Amino acid sequence: MTNAQVDGEDALGARVRGMVERAIQRGVKSFQYATSGPAKVGLTPKTTLYGRGTLQLYHYKPQVDELYRVPVLMVMATTNKAFVFDLLPGQSMVEFLLKRGFDVFVIDWNAPAPEERGLTLEDYTQDFIPTCIDKVRQVTGQPDVSVIGYCMGGVLSLIYAATHVDGPLRNLVCLTTPIDWKQMGLTTMWNDPRYFDVDQVADTLGVVPADFIRQMFEMQKPAQKLAGQLRVSEQMWNDDFVRSYRAFERWGDETLPLAGEYLRQTTKELSWGNKLFTGELVVGGREAKLANIKAPILSIVAEHDHLAPRDATKPLLDLVGSNDKEEILLKGGHVSLIAGPNAIGRMWPRLERWLAVRSI
Amino acid sequence: MAKDSPPDPAAAFRELVTQWERNINSVANQVMGTESFSRLMQEMQRMQLAVQQATSEAMGRRLAAMNMPTREDVIRVAEKLADVERRLAHIEASLDGSAPVAPPDASSSGRPRTRQPPVEYLQGEKPR
Repeated sequence: MTNAQVDGEDALGARVRGMVERAIQRGVKSFQYATSGPAKVGLTPKTTLYGRGTLQLYHYKPQVDELYRVPVLMVMATTNKAFVFDLLPGQSMVEFLLKRGFDVFVIDWNAPAPEERGLTLEDYTQDFIPTCIDKVRQVTGQPDVSVIGYCMGGVLSLIYAATHVDGPLRNLVCLTTPIDWKQMGLTTMWNDPRYFDVDQVADTLGVVPADFIRQMFEMQKPAQKLAGQLRVSEQMWNDDFVRSYRAFERWGDETLPLAGEYLRQTTKELSWGNKLFTGELVVGGREAKLANIKAPILSIVAEHDHLAPRDATKPLLDLVGSNDKEEILLKGGHVSLIAGPNAIGRMWPRLERWLAVRSI
Repeated sequence: MAKDSPPDPAAAFRELVTQWERNINSVANQVMGTESFSRLMQEMQRMQLAVQQATSEAMGRRLAAMNMPTREDVIRVAEKLADVERRLAHIEASLDGSAPVAPPDASSSGRPRTRQPPVEYLQGEKPR
């Protein structure tokens, strides 16, 4: 028998042993998987600084002795919980920023109650965000604040910034934020005003149930859920993979309902009217022209984003009035841009670097 | 001499799943990206909502006949309460002025805000 044959048999033996061990682990861990509760997420220590109805403002406990001067306020999209910013220890954007010296605050959303069906863009951008910014300023004693908005949170942050020209905004970061709503792929198609009766939806439902919103997301990648379940069944032996999968699964499952009036307004003004892009948007009697924004702005977008496609996010820098503006285009999708291994390696370091030099 | 590594069935399975997912999503997106699909989807939704609305109205009439508040009545009361809460929050904010909104948080306020970015971060940045 030659040496090559012996090596080949050793490798094959090792492979077979490994497969058998993993098969045993899969069996044992599948039982644990089936019998354990939901993933524990959002574990970074925090206090709830303020809450009112759907609005929650968290302050995370700093983790270093010396902080950057400017606090950071993160604004979550209105359709999902903010624990995607603080998914798991070691996979938390909040924890990452804290360890690098930022004082971090997060706006999270509760499911709107039936009596909050009348919430509008005015509530989010002229009340909730300014109130939270005031709270952050009071707690930190700092005159200005950096804002990071994710997806629709980015849209709300932009509208806030455009309507508070003299406001205390130090820096603005938009993550996967759609601007040209005519380029939103399937969402644009399904929102076609000839077929989609948003008035009927808002008037009948009041608060649009989470299932309605979740179906809209899941239909855009119909095989994703089953493929994820197949992957996790094969990777059941891998604790890190399973932990991460379950955290993301929980996040997707905890999609939030939307206030009907807010859905009506975003559909008519942003989707049908495309007014954020055209500069015609008026919120709370104030013109929300992106050209009004003068603060330094960073737009981080994903190459394979199916919810906020590249063509929808692209126009932002051309429309804002800021001199200090930058776009970073990264590989990944709508969620993997902000959480998971891609985010840890690609996005977070770029964000930290941009923000650090503008937070002193 | 290059050695052939034995085949990895797990890797092949993962690749198969990825390909399957990609193909299904691609085909589904082609179907769902058509005008006829949008029209059909929204028509079904319209009918579902119409049934829901009719049921709700019938229930409302029965409750009214029994002199009981409907869901709509309860929501209206809750809306008024929410409005009072919102007004109180604004009054509270204006009374607060610049006072801290929460007890001073030693974990944050006790720390100096003098941190400077690493020198390499400043390279290539314009002076601000």
